[in-house]
Amino acid sequence: MSFESVLAQARAEGRTLLNEVEAKSLLKDAGVPVATTTLAATRAEAQAQAESAGYPVVLKVVSPDIAHKSDVGGVKLNLKDKDAVGAAFDEIVANSKKAVANARIAGVAVQHMAPQGTEVIVGMTTDAQFGPVMMFGLGGIMVEVLKDVSFRLVPLAEKDADQMINEIKGRPVLEGVRGQPAADLKALRTTILKVSEFVQKHPEVRELDLNPVFAYPDGALAVDARIVVSEG
Amino acid sequence: MAVPGHKLDRMFNPEVVAVIGDKGPGYMWLRNNLPFKEKGGRLYSVQLDEKEIPGIEALGIQNFKSMADIPEPIDYALVAVPRQVSPYVLKDLIANKANGAGFFTSGFAETGEELGVKLQTQLTEMAREASFNLVGPNCMGLYLPKVGVRFNADAPVADDGKIGFLSQSGTHGIMFSLVSAANGMHVSRCASFGNAVVLDVSDYLEYLMLDDETEVIGMYVEGVKNGRRFFETLREACKRKPVIVWKGGQTEAGARATMSHTGSLAAPQAVWDGMMRQCGAITTNNLDETIDVMKLLLNAKRPTGTGMALLAQTGGQSVSITDAFSKAGLRVPRFSDGTYTELGEFFNIVGGSFQNPLDMAGTIQGSMDTLDRILRILDADPNVDAMAMELSAMFAARQWKGKPETLDKTIEEIALHKERSKKPFLVILHPAHEAEYVASIQPKFHAANIPLFQSFERAAAAFARAGVREPVGRTAWRQNARPGSAAPPGLQPRSARAPS
Repeated sequence: MSFESVLAQARAEGRTLLNEVEAKSLLKDAGVPVATTTLAATRAEAQAQAESAGYPVVLKVVSPDIAHKSDVGGVKLNLKDKDAVGAAFDEIVANSKKAVANARIAGVAVQHMAPQGTEVIVGMTTDAQFGPVMMFGLGGIMVEVLKDVSFRLVPLAEKDADQMINEIKGRPVLEGVRGQPAADLKALRTTILKVSEFVQKHPEVRELDLNPVFAYPDGALAVDARIVVSEG
Repeated sequence: MAVPGHKLDRMFNPEVVAVIGDKGPGYMWLRNNLPFKEKGGRLYSVQLDEKEIPGIEALGIQNFKSMADIPEPIDYALVAVPRQVSPYVLKDLIANKANGAGFFTSGFAETGEELGVKLQTQLTEMAREASFNLVGPNCMGLYLPKVGVRFNADAPVADDGKIGFLSQSGTHGIMFSLVSAANGMHVSRCASFGNAVVLDVSDYLEYLMLDDETEVIGMYVEGVKNGRRFFETLREACKRKPVIVWKGGQTEAGARATMSHTGSLAAPQAVWDGMMRQCGAITTNNLDETIDVMKLLLNAKRPTGTGMALLAQTGGQSVSITDAFSKAGLRVPRFSDGTYTELGEFFNIVGGSFQNPLDMAGTIQGSMDTLDRILRILDADPNVDAMAMELSAMFAARQWKGKPETLDKTIEEIALHKERSKKPFLVILHPAHEAEYVASIQPKFHAANIPLFQSFERAAAAFARAGVREPVGRTAWRQNARPGSAAPPGLQPRSARAPS
């Protein structure tokens, strides 16, 4: 999938929100560490893709009409075998149809369920005056309640990415607290810089969220991705 | 000096100034600019109201009833006409081949009225089409102390200005100019730019960044028109010289106020803060903080680290000065062993101490030789990156008043130390019970280029802002300054400009 073809497809369908599989595929091509995620249109496809992704897996509904997937029962975690994947597929499709009448369902996204790491958020928004702005913060309560995030304008230099990571108040969490290992700061820096390059290259991208990104002692992995593009 | 070939160069270095539409009885703008005439500049008035003309001529200023009669191109004009007349004046300025004009005239888009909005659009379109450098409108225009162009009757005329200041607010531009002068620092060039419909802060910033006479840049901004251009210009400017940005409208309520003041839309504060760090700008929140940082940038050496030697006169103050600098993120390290050995040879530890902080009045006892000895020992200590010393009006004012030479000797001693030391040196003199007297002696410190602060907290905050700070290193303080910054390629030398 090239950026241009995904963009054309979305615009043809009147969408500004790319689906999870599209977003992750583009980001992966751009060198951003994201969990490989594939689209299964049928139960059998889901089962085959789960086999190659490796158990446990996560299934999520892919529909332009469903914004909050878990609210409609469109997400199933920690599926450990073929039967569980098959049942989950059926259940997700049924739940989604029940929750949103006439929902267009492209299928179900299948990904290996990544081990838990320290949760961080890497994002981009478009400011009316300053254009694309990168955001970094710790996941969960730190960003939602404490607004503990840092910002830099695109394009970013290495020092900018490092400063973004270093200046959040929750910075010590990344050193490893309460038995957690320290996070790989270089991998986080790379993630930020690759996203900065990606949005610089594609001015059609208006918003981007990697939430969460799991930071590990060696490496980082975005397990969910959201991209909003401008209207055609 | 100037920036040859820059589009703003003539108006920032004027030889011909015109005041359009000033009126009696005060003739504020003509009087403001009398120093320009006294210094040899050609100052003209344009006023067609017969009853105003005798008053203008009484000031010794040549008046023209029509701008077309002025025999030469105007470098800078100050326009103070009613708003309905302003498009006609702009047309005449363009015909005159004037370089730029500050429009004191207000009543434009900031009013929200239909007529005001319409007139502003008209001015903007005319100026853009003619590439005319319109400053404002709704502003106080330029303050160029070296040539005597002024926006306020109290603003000094001075040759030695090193601070370039830009202000979206006329009041803040004037206040900064007056208060910096009262603190012994002069402006090189200042622009109050109001509604910024044609020239925006980035245009002026670019000029000041290239101007050799400007060593430090400060600005008060509420919002910018072209955010990307501001970001790029500021980032470049910060590589050349320190830039202090005082942002108005940092709170939600404050941002609402900027909307009605200058019609500025604000980016979220956190985005703005991130951009400031990305550019390497120094941020301040008010006039005092801005002045305080300027003192250090102009009058102190650049620090190479955050280790402070703190010199207080008494025990209580030694604790307070230490808390103030620690809270500001600076270190108060142990001295090196050699320093303790040397200080131990003569330091009076009964009622005193020299751990860092120093509690030293009992050791010095008014002896400049002892102060000199202490300063030299600390200056040589590798753990010390900078020094801050308290002077106490509470103890010393009585003596200084009785024997003024004791104060002069203290100042001389500090000035000598500053001269020979490579490390920044700050002095804190709290007004205590002698506010009036302390105010009267401050100019002595300013004359000796000693950065003087009224409280430990203000000194510490200024040092933390201006200097290196942990854990994130800052690159300000002329670290990246390139002497003799050249004009960008493509700009023509001043002599090449065609004035006709």
